Amino acid sequence: MPVNLTPNAIATINDGDVNLKPLVQVLDIKQMGSAQERYRLLVSDSVLTQHAMLGTQLNDRVKTGLVKKGSIIQLIDYICSQVQKRKIIVVLNLETIIPDCEIIGNPKMVSDAPAQNALPNTNSMLLSTVGYNNLSSQSHGSNMHSIRPALSSQGHDGNMQSFRPTSSTQNQGGKMHTFQPALGAQNYGNDVQSFRPTVQPPYQPPPSYRNHGAVMKNEAPARIIPINALNPYQGRWAIKARITAKGDLRRYNNARGDGKVFSFDLLDSDGGEIRVTCFNAVVDRFYDAVEVGKVYLISKGSLKPAQKNFNHLKNDWEIFLEATSTVDLCPEEDGSIPQQQFSFKPISEIESAENNSIFDVIGIVISVNPSVPILRKNGMETQRRILNLKDGSGWTIELTLWGDFCNKEGQKLQEMVGSGFFPILVVKAGKVSDFNGKSLGTISSTQLFINPDIPEAHAVKDWFDRGGCDVATMSISRDIVQGGPKNEARKTVSQIKHEGLGRSDKPDWATVRASISFIKTDTFCYTACPLMIGDRQCNKKVTRSGNSRWQCDRCNQEFDECDYRYLLQIQIQDHTGLTWVTAFQESGEEILGYPAKELYLLKYESNDTRFADIIRSRLFYQYLFRLKIKEEMYGDEQRVKITIFKADKVSYSSESRYMLDLISKDRAH
Amino acid sequence: MHVRKRVRTVIQVVGADRGAIVGKSPDDLQLVVKGSPPSAPLSNFVEVIGIADSEKSIQAEIWTNFGEVFDTHSYNQLCQLANGEYQHLFL
Repeated sequence: MPVNLTPNAIATINDGDVNLKPLVQVLDIKQMGSAQERYRLLVSDSVLTQHAMLGTQLNDRVKTGLVKKGSIIQLIDYICSQVQKRKIIVVLNLETIIPDCEIIGNPKMVSDAPAQNALPNTNSMLLSTVGYNNLSSQSHGSNMHSIRPALSSQGHDGNMQSFRPTSSTQNQGGKMHTFQPALGAQNYGNDVQSFRPTVQPPYQPPPSYRNHGAVMKNEAPARIIPINALNPYQGRWAIKARITAKGDLRRYNNARGDGKVFSFDLLDSDGGEIRVTCFNAVVDRFYDAVEVGKVYLISKGSLKPAQKNFNHLKNDWEIFLEATSTVDLCPEEDGSIPQQQFSFKPISEIESAENNSIFDVIGIVISVNPSVPILRKNGMETQRRILNLKDGSGWTIELTLWGDFCNKEGQKLQEMVGSGFFPILVVKAGKVSDFNGKSLGTISSTQLFINPDIPEAHAVKDWFDRGGCDVATMSISRDIVQGGPKNEARKTVSQIKHEGLGRSDKPDWATVRASISFIKTDTFCYTACPLMIGDRQCNKKVTRSGNSRWQCDRCNQEFDECDYRYLLQIQIQDHTGLTWVTAFQESGEEILGYPAKELYLLKYESNDTRFADIIRSRLFYQYLFRLKIKEEMYGDEQRVKITIFKADKVSYSSESRYMLDLISKDRAH
Repeated sequence: MHVRKRVRTVIQVVGADRGAIVGKSPDDLQLVVKGSPPSAPLSNFVEVIGIADSEKSIQAEIWTNFGEVFDTHSYNQLCQLANGEYQHLFL
């Protein structure tokens, strides 16, 4: 089915018309550069071709093949921008009319002098465009008069034919006024402007005429575009967005002297986010004017590539405000712009996240520890607080609050948890740390929200109230004390040696079903320091001091009673082989069934035989051991050390199913 | 399939019917077990060994209480393996 492209569309757009919504054909598509994903098009109206650029929000149209060479598309939202003497059409929205079509006509590249092109096209342009200029709506009689000569000088008498009958008198204004309703649409069609030989401003808002004549300064408000469409190749732009975060005022000193800087983050109704930064004098202009949560119209800033080290928003660009920039508060509340935008990930995903990556999480605070002062590397002291967050995935993670967060949100959370509430905490832009399993920490751009009124918070609260609180906490922090990361890699004892587990940089984890064949009883426990360091017990081995007291070197204190903790050497065995493993306090208690102190006293003070009986009775029990395997230096040699993190009783039902599964898998090959 | 052969299975006791015990087999079919049950009360799951006199009934000679909890799915898989590919591994 032959289709007609909009005649003279290219010229019309070049002259500044942004409302034509023409049908054009895509002649070529190229990807710009290697770093950014941006597509450059060549579009034609069957007579002329023009370069165009696709807004990044339309990239998937090219990727899915909706827009390809030969496609007939309708440009819906677009502007014509002047870049170094060339005109480029920036397409913000389009519709594919016909995805596949042969090239129509024999279009030629448009030249770089738009004014000349305008001449031959005006006739058709006036016919094809919807409305006429709105001069009359804002005009004053004298202005009409001054414009008129310009028109006729370009030889548009033909066009003016239509006006002639009514414009024979000087008093054009009135006549034009009456003309206007007949034309109907109050269209900012800009036809008249295009006949002026001056350079087009990229935007064609309603021109505001002053009394002194034809000098046109385009002071009308620039068009609001989505944040995601912002790029430095555009002419003027304006965005309407809400401030989601405001950074602190920072002073710095570098080779160029002293300076100050602050940034704030914006979010618009399409979900686009961008950071805005102000330096020095600009800081004074805007620092007090901007408030978090309010909506602003921002324009005339410059766009530069975003610094990904500090800027974690999903945008390639960053806005830098200058002396000429405008930031206007929008007093009416814009419901279409959300207050905040989060991309929450479940805590279970953090386990596999890279160190230093940035995450948003939401969860229930299940414990809050007091603030402790920490000495930083630069000698400054800061506060640190550790709390534990649990979410719907069933996992718990340690969240470290630094600095101010300890005193403000941290204190509030401690009070809430202390009173028996379990508040919901949202962490925006928390940093993942590799220390002690995986944990989250706050950075300068982190924001904390307690019990926010967002759907995700209600969902988490529901989960928690319905029994989420009872789900056994599996922590991905705390490498040593609580059960390590769930690693169901099932191995047999011989596989540990054969596969060389534990020899890489990181420890290997494995689950082994084996029986205890021997427990070493010479030294099965040690005397430990019972004092608390922060939220953990010191547990360092203490030495006797005097006859009845104990001394801890780390805590530098003496006390009467020490703690007894298990340090068991156990031999485990399965059908493939046997190996020695170490069990600490928790797994030791699970295996032996008695607290270390009791057995210690039993052995050394009361009933030696009873002690031996107990130990013997624990032999040959089968457990599902979760093992941590790591190679370590012992004196001169490297030895593979295996530690038990958890010793689970075997569930016959699930073990049977596991084995049946193995059989069927084996059967398959 | 195993009519007139000596069979063994674990049933979940569902009820009694005219002196026979009605139970659910590991693969969820109904079985009638005749014979003289032991004097001790039956638990939820019982193993019966006897002659299958029809597709759906067993004349049981030995009854053993297996307790209240039993993984019928695994037992069912076991039966399939024992009579199928790995027959030779079972006595």
